[in-house]
Amino acid sequence: MTAEAIEHTPSEVRSPAAFFASRVFIYGALIFWAFVCLFPIYWTITTSFKTAPNVTQGHLIPFVDFTPDWRGWRSLGLSPDTIGSTSTVRDEFLKRFFNSVITSIGASALAIVIGSLAAYGLTRFRYKFMWMKNEDISFFFLSQLILPPVVLALPFLALYKGLHLLDTRIGLILLYTLMVLPIVIWIMRDQFNSIPVELEEAALVDGLSVWGAFFQIVLPIALPGMVAAFILSMVLCWNEYFFAALLTSTNANTIPVMVASQTGSQGINWWSMAALSTAAIAPLAIIGVLLERYLIKGMTAGAVK
Amino acid sequence: MSEQATAIAQNMSLGAALDTIAPGRRRLGRIIMMLATAGLAIVALIQILYAAGAIGFGFSTWRPLLYAYILWGVALGVGQVMTRGEEGHRALFLLPAVLFTVAMVVFPTLFGFYIATLDWNLSGTPKFNGLDNFWQMLRDPFYSNALLNMVFYVLAVFVEYVIAFGLALLLNAQIRARKFFRVVFLLPLMLSPVAVSWMIGKSLMEYRFGPAATLARKLGWDNPAFFATPWTAKISIMLLDAWTFIPFLMIMLLAGLQAMPRDILEAAKVDGATAWQTFWGVTFPLMLPVSVTALILRIIFKLKLADIVITVTSGGPGGATDTVTSFIFREYRDRSNVGYGTMLAMVYLIIIIVFVTLLLKLANRFVRNVT
Amino acid sequence: MKLGLYNQLVRMGASRRDVLKGAASMAAVAAASSAGLGALTGEASAQDNVRAEILKIPGVGKGSPTDADWQKVGELCLGATKANVKEGEFAGVELTFMGLNNQNLHNFLFRGFLKPWEAYTGAKINWIDLAQADYNARLQQSIATGTVDFDILQMGAPFEGDTAGRGLLDEMPDWVATQIEADDLVNYLKAPVGTWDGKTYRITIDGDCHTFAYRKDYFGDGSISGMADVPKHWEDFPALATALAGKNDPITGTPAFGFLDPLKYQWGGFGFYFLGDRASAYAKHPEDAAWLFDPDTMKPRVNNPAWVQAIQDVFDLVKANAYPPDQLNADPNATAFSQFLGGTGAALCWWGDVGSNARTSDTSVVGDVVGFSINPGAKRVYNAKTSAWEEKENFAPNMAYIGWGVYVTSRVSADEKKRKAAWSAAAHLGGKDLSLWTAAYPSGFQPYRNSHFQYAEWEAAGYDRAFVEDYLGSNLDSYNHPNAAIEPRIPGIFQYYSIAEDELVKGVNGQYPSAQATADAIAAAWEKITDQIGRESQIKLYKASLGM
Repeated sequence: MTAEAIEHTPSEVRSPAAFFASRVFIYGALIFWAFVCLFPIYWTITTSFKTAPNVTQGHLIPFVDFTPDWRGWRSLGLSPDTIGSTSTVRDEFLKRFFNSVITSIGASALAIVIGSLAAYGLTRFRYKFMWMKNEDISFFFLSQLILPPVVLALPFLALYKGLHLLDTRIGLILLYTLMVLPIVIWIMRDQFNSIPVELEEAALVDGLSVWGAFFQIVLPIALPGMVAAFILSMVLCWNEYFFAALLTSTNANTIPVMVASQTGSQGINWWSMAALSTAAIAPLAIIGVLLERYLIKGMTAGAVK
Repeated sequence: MSEQATAIAQNMSLGAALDTIAPGRRRLGRIIMMLATAGLAIVALIQILYAAGAIGFGFSTWRPLLYAYILWGVALGVGQVMTRGEEGHRALFLLPAVLFTVAMVVFPTLFGFYIATLDWNLSGTPKFNGLDNFWQMLRDPFYSNALLNMVFYVLAVFVEYVIAFGLALLLNAQIRARKFFRVVFLLPLMLSPVAVSWMIGKSLMEYRFGPAATLARKLGWDNPAFFATPWTAKISIMLLDAWTFIPFLMIMLLAGLQAMPRDILEAAKVDGATAWQTFWGVTFPLMLPVSVTALILRIIFKLKLADIVITVTSGGPGGATDTVTSFIFREYRDRSNVGYGTMLAMVYLIIIIVFVTLLLKLANRFVRNVT
Repeated sequence: MKLGLYNQLVRMGASRRDVLKGAASMAAVAAASSAGLGALTGEASAQDNVRAEILKIPGVGKGSPTDADWQKVGELCLGATKANVKEGEFAGVELTFMGLNNQNLHNFLFRGFLKPWEAYTGAKINWIDLAQADYNARLQQSIATGTVDFDILQMGAPFEGDTAGRGLLDEMPDWVATQIEADDLVNYLKAPVGTWDGKTYRITIDGDCHTFAYRKDYFGDGSISGMADVPKHWEDFPALATALAGKNDPITGTPAFGFLDPLKYQWGGFGFYFLGDRASAYAKHPEDAAWLFDPDTMKPRVNNPAWVQAIQDVFDLVKANAYPPDQLNADPNATAFSQFLGGTGAALCWWGDVGSNARTSDTSVVGDVVGFSINPGAKRVYNAKTSAWEEKENFAPNMAYIGWGVYVTSRVSADEKKRKAAWSAAAHLGGKDLSLWTAAYPSGFQPYRNSHFQYAEWEAAGYDRAFVEDYLGSNLDSYNHPNAAIEPRIPGIFQYYSIAEDELVKGVNGQYPSAQATADAIAAAWEKITDQIGRESQIKLYKASLGM
């Protein structure tokens, strides 16, 4: 355990009762918040196994309150009894799923590459372009984050139509890259700032070029930050709805658009909506579990200066 | 094209000597850049003339212009290195991001400003009407209502911050199963707002069968309609949004806590400070920079809050939960009132750019003064 | 539609298989068997025609239809296509189809139906799936930015002004009308609906109208309302709400409410129909086809006394707290499927879906006590021509949305082979036999042909005759009503609706001082749209759409 607990003050240590009380409080709070975080996810997953009466009566616990049913998954062609047969719904779902995977990974990767380069440049060199200095250039990038997407809806429709990028994955990737680039630059700038310049100076003395020093010395150290930026980018891209609905139609559409279409004039298919939501959540949840430590480590670097 | 980034490397930190560049190489570099620029200009010109109907040949789409731009970008990079050597190498770091952003943003923004001056309903033909949309905006009480709502939404960020700080402290404390709690606390951030809106906003918080409503009834709230009155609706939306974004604040703060130098805390402990004193005297001031960063990023995200509002309440009841983006979205999608909607969006963009600039300046000064 | 009706039977089938598991399911079977279980167990009669054949796919009570079933139906109904198209005739043709993905029906159904058609003709179809609320926006954007990238289009009649009115559609060839037996359509779906400037563009695949569903157990001797019968006129509904105040629903024991208006009208334009249900009774004069606009000036009628009365009726009920507490933010869907079917309200107006779900859906508790009729009327009607109320009873069922159709866009007009392919695909979906299947099984579509109302076919397929007759009868009565309120198919109609929804919600939440002010705000916004689109052309198109 790295950081010494702040709660461990001498007074508390002296009194076992107070220590015990603080433990109870800490674990109580932790468990309470874990419940707050997990319950909605639990609700979503169990709902995908419910039939209509189980939903409308608010049944909670499978096998006790209600008998799980594959209905939600069957409607997607993903239940055990339908997995073998042809299902256009499943084909559609899989197509969208892979589109989501490709666009979010592609955009995140692209953003990491050009974002890291820019962030490194901005932390190490002084640029001047007309009136713009480093801070202004940084703000220029940051301001892209501010842009409400709805502003660009119609212009992008026109632009993409002209460039023949409508309904292409590359079109979505470019747009998502624009969307997450500011976050990447922000995180990576902090990351690079925390790496001592002396390292590179030594490398330059050893005869490496600027780029050589960047790739061989700086990049390995900055890796956790890149993973952190990558995860955040993935999350944002994976969940993007607005532009996905606007700019795609047949070939490049993604999962969130499908979630939104589970309602119509016949009521709401809670079970299939929950199944879709679960499927949409699962990949990110897995990424979260696997890479969570990099997220903290990556953001730690620039945190306190 | 403006982004001929004349990056001036001032050797501030990396004291590398500027290498000397042969005149021939420099000339070649210039020629490459000029040729590329000319090529781009020619392709653009042909395409514009073709699209305008002035000439009979051209490309069926604007895609070739995209390729020309990419080629031009590459040539520009090569040229920078050839003419400016080390400085060019340095410019190369920034160039891709700048060229990319400019390419993606310039046209849509300019086109957006153009649309904002149109009287354009998608079903009709666009008519230029100058600043009429702007004047109409000033008289629109529902737009100012949405702006006012944004103030409340942004203020809610500070509550989120307090909770997130508390959670970060908990996670940083001496606890078992730390990894488990960290992953669990992080999960809400991963969920898509659309799924959250449906599965929580419309299902979990449903008046009749939602477990949240059942719980509220048990706690003594007879009619737990979470979205029926203006303030309950607003608070419910804030809660939903907070639920997804508290983890974001939390990881940034937790990262800050873990990076904090241990010796200072231990010194405080040796001095006999209580937990309360340590927190306010040491931890909190040390955490200020990261707090400010986290808060600003969070506020920027908050300013774009829309998905949840659009899906769960459509801005209701009576505009009580409207954010600016959700309001514009309705103007845009439901009313197809593109010109006016875009004007609203452009004005909002300017407002928040000014706001965020001020915020950054203030934050900088604040951090400098306190620490 | 019919999802629930069907699901009930599915569930019964499941129950039968589970009989051995316990007495509880035995009891369930016993309770359900009145709903035509006999027909299920018996061998289907060996009728040798396609209609009986497809009604056996997959067979009522044999599980939800799957992709394989949709394909089988498509295969069996291919006869009409084969008569007009040679095998492999469209080899190499690629078509794009834009439609809805509502609850994984609509487009997914079409995919299955058209698979055998693709195999036979050699054509290939690509798909664009939209969510219902995005539909209007997406269509408008495509039109405005010139990105019409589809050859076949699933579309409601209200959009004919946006598309046919701009020459974006291809005229239907005569052989198609013959193939789909267009004469079989119910009256209101015949011209002028589906036509524009005298030309036909539409293959109807659905019929829509709002009907009135009510709780029979709320009325009669000793009932909680104390009223003898359900009110037939809008004027009497406030009294119903008053009578029910403080009473509890006899089935669920939860508080009972009167008529359920979905007060969160916003639904991409689809929510405005619920105000239309009330307003048509006051505003649709039998001698005047127009009721939303003045056909000579396009001046909105939405702020005339008739509409204001309808809005006022709602406002009064809101003020009297006559709605469930969550009503201000309950989606229209929730009003129908969790409130009414869940046992909280006396009545509502909805498409056929409520009718089918009421008796049979798992979530419905009101199955045995629900009755149907055409929408309520009014005791007086406003004559816009004389600007005066006339004291006479008026009924005007709201033909909300007029139903989905399949259209072919003018993208294919120049290419005769592609054009024939597109129409052949569309005609396959609108075929007479295929439509019987979509009417009887979960599909999202309602009956729209006279031949769909042959109740014997339904009974043979395993449905409870009395019930089907009751709820389908209310549809048929509405379809054929002489004073049916049919909406104008002018460009931008869903923008008019959406804007009205938005203003209505503001009014309901007290952002405007009165019903009149709310109506005026809607009217002002409508005037603005009319000016933006072009008043002269709107007048012309409005008249054309009404057949004037």
